[in-house]
Amino acid sequence: MPNFFHDYDLGGLYDEMFAAPGEPRPHYRRLWERYQDMSGFGELLTRQKGANQTFINRGVTFTVYSDKAGTEKIFPFDLVPRIISATEWTRMEAGLTQRMMALDLFLKDIYSEQRILKEGIIPRALVESCAHFRPELVGVQLPRQRHVHINGTDLIRDADGTYRVLEDNLRTPSGVSYVLENRQIMKRVFPNLLRNYHVRPVSGYTSDLLDLLNWLAPAGVESPTVVLLTPGVYNSAYYEHAFLARQMGIEIVEGSDLVVQDHKVFMKRTGGLTRVHVIYRRLDDDFLDPTVFRRDSLLGVPGLFEAYRRGNVALTNPVGTGIADDKAVYYYVPQMIKFYLGEDSLLPNVETYLTSNASERSFVLENLPKLVVKSVNEAGGYGMLIGPHATKKQLKEFADKIVANPRNFIAQPTLAFSRCPTICGREMEGRHVDLRPYILNGESVKIMPGGLTRVALKKGSLVVNSSQGGGSKDTWVLADDGDAPDTAPPIKPEKLSV
Amino acid sequence: MLSRVANLIYWTARYLERGENTLRLIDVNAQLVLDLESHDDFTDPRAWEPLVYVNGNEEKFFELHGKPVTEQAVVEYLLFDPRNSSSLLSCVASARENARCVRDQISSEMWEVINTFYLHLKTHDYQTYAQTGSTEYIADLKLRTQQIYAVAESMMPRNEGWWFYLLGRYLERADNVSRIIDVKYYMILPDRHHVGSALDVIQWGSVLRSCSGFEAFRRTQRGQLKLENVLNYLIRDHEFPRSILASVNAMDNCLTKICDSKSGELYAPAVRELKILQTHLEQSDVTKIVAEGLHEYLDDIQTRVFIVHRATMEAFVNYDPAQAQIA
Repeated sequence: MPNFFHDYDLGGLYDEMFAAPGEPRPHYRRLWERYQDMSGFGELLTRQKGANQTFINRGVTFTVYSDKAGTEKIFPFDLVPRIISATEWTRMEAGLTQRMMALDLFLKDIYSEQRILKEGIIPRALVESCAHFRPELVGVQLPRQRHVHINGTDLIRDADGTYRVLEDNLRTPSGVSYVLENRQIMKRVFPNLLRNYHVRPVSGYTSDLLDLLNWLAPAGVESPTVVLLTPGVYNSAYYEHAFLARQMGIEIVEGSDLVVQDHKVFMKRTGGLTRVHVIYRRLDDDFLDPTVFRRDSLLGVPGLFEAYRRGNVALTNPVGTGIADDKAVYYYVPQMIKFYLGEDSLLPNVETYLTSNASERSFVLENLPKLVVKSVNEAGGYGMLIGPHATKKQLKEFADKIVANPRNFIAQPTLAFSRCPTICGREMEGRHVDLRPYILNGESVKIMPGGLTRVALKKGSLVVNSSQGGGSKDTWVLADDGDAPDTAPPIKPEKLSV
Repeated sequence: MLSRVANLIYWTARYLERGENTLRLIDVNAQLVLDLESHDDFTDPRAWEPLVYVNGNEEKFFELHGKPVTEQAVVEYLLFDPRNSSSLLSCVASARENARCVRDQISSEMWEVINTFYLHLKTHDYQTYAQTGSTEYIADLKLRTQQIYAVAESMMPRNEGWWFYLLGRYLERADNVSRIIDVKYYMILPDRHHVGSALDVIQWGSVLRSCSGFEAFRRTQRGQLKLENVLNYLIRDHEFPRSILASVNAMDNCLTKICDSKSGELYAPAVRELKILQTHLEQSDVTKIVAEGLHEYLDDIQTRVFIVHRATMEAFVNYDPAQAQIA
């Protein structure tokens, strides 16, 4: 009987699979047993190889901007699933729903009454200096009064297993296609295991998304035309755009396919123009309409914003959501939850220091080698400093940057976030993982069970981004925990004094 | 269907067809060279030179490889060189880029088979060709292109995209066949051979073979491999699927299908230009063509094919939205 975990080192960190050496957590026990039934590690590697080949043949790839050698890569897939118990998930779901509702109310408030600024809960200067704040949107009535439709919230688990929010992605969160593809692969590779485990399906996501998009159509339109707007095939997430459009049976369009006439949007087809009612845009605000935002954008559609402002077309996500992606605004989400919902946040943030705040800034500058510093508007693992791994030169550079532009940074402690067993060469080793659930905010809040588990494949690395050596795992949310005792750490509501 | 999508499907088919014809050309020439009787002819640098002119990229070739023209240079240039926009690799790469954008329209299977072909081809170079042996190597690649067509045939939905796909394929074929015939123009008969000599016959046979038309020609024409017979067959035969006229007739069918579902008059010029080309081919007299200049005639055909292409694009893809009707 092979034991893949004979030399497995927990490294003193929270391990997703093992409570202690040789002692799997209850919801991982069946997986552990399945591995013992295998003929050897070679069997697992053979299956892994088959899975990789499937990804290549299916063209499930993403593009790395800076990498000249091969612009096209598969997002490495690790065959060991990340499993979330039903109890854990129920709690997480409640926290994510609460967060989504508060963020929606926050955005609505910012673009109308601005109560939260007037009452001084969040500094006005902070919000108005957000790179993605859109003054053009103030006072605009949005379809169904929803100011955000899709959020990809990044979560990590800290040393005692508590899930914490690392950041929100309210513009165009990507990665959901990998969740769906990963599950397809796992169904091929481990069909029986999936069935025995009662894993909750993820395939309902595209139906839920399509329902949401249809629901947003201008009033009176019975069968709306929904399209997905992509920056084009050279965008790093193009594969996902095409995948989602295909799954929903909607057209995938580029800016050049759309024209605006009489403040209505049309797409250019071989037989003439066809009216478009809802646009699932995977293009940042900046590029949407060169007559309003960036003048040099060739990707957008002239006149689109005016059509949107008049309610002739719906956009998902709405314009202006980017302010909540700002990591300095993220700092205030617990306050928003308190302010709008009168509740304590169920999912805590990661401890965060605002460098725009003088006292916190001096703390950050003194403790730079211990902290992670992030630019407030960068994503994808770019523009960040990992203090413990940085050279003296890098530390100095970042310190200078912070002093020069304190509004542009936040700092967080270097987190020992959780690890999950991962196939590394010819053995299992622990690698750091995060989790990005996808939250839809339509008639009600809907969350796909699980989400994207990203794994930092480099030993010791904390960066899970696909552009920087990250991979992914299938994420299993269990339909029920059976007789397993509830070992999930309870979510500790964050007490706030507002 | 989105105009851009129709355009991409159309070009996917054109690139695939172009790549396939390049393969056919090399195949036939490699065999032709082996048929040459004397060692002198065999090593004559002019044996490979005609191929360089086929796609009109000869300047680039001579810039890169100079003279004399060797088999290696020609094969590298026509099959594997990304700097030659008509090389097989470039064609498959372009087809792949287009197909990637429209994979949801042409079926995932279709995209996968093009993608795998590209990934396969990318690892090859002249050594692969030489070590495998020309005949076997080309046969394998031809089989792979046929595999793409077969997948398209069985997987692509029979909507407008399908007709744009076929339209592109036949239009490219009409153009390419005219260029293949033109190769013979550049095959200079060495001094001691003459029109109607054994070598001349062999060369015409090779032109037919490159269009997979040798046996069909023999069967239907029962004629000699004479210039007029072969030309008439490749340009005007109704049944042979790679003749120019048959390709143009097939284009006509596609265009009719595309226009069927549409109202308005935007597409009228495309239909008109295609009819003009059809009539022109029907009325062509081979004896007259030869007397007045084959090369010029073929050049003119290529121009006419291009005019149909341009009119089609203007009808369905590049039209002015302000003039278009709202469906």
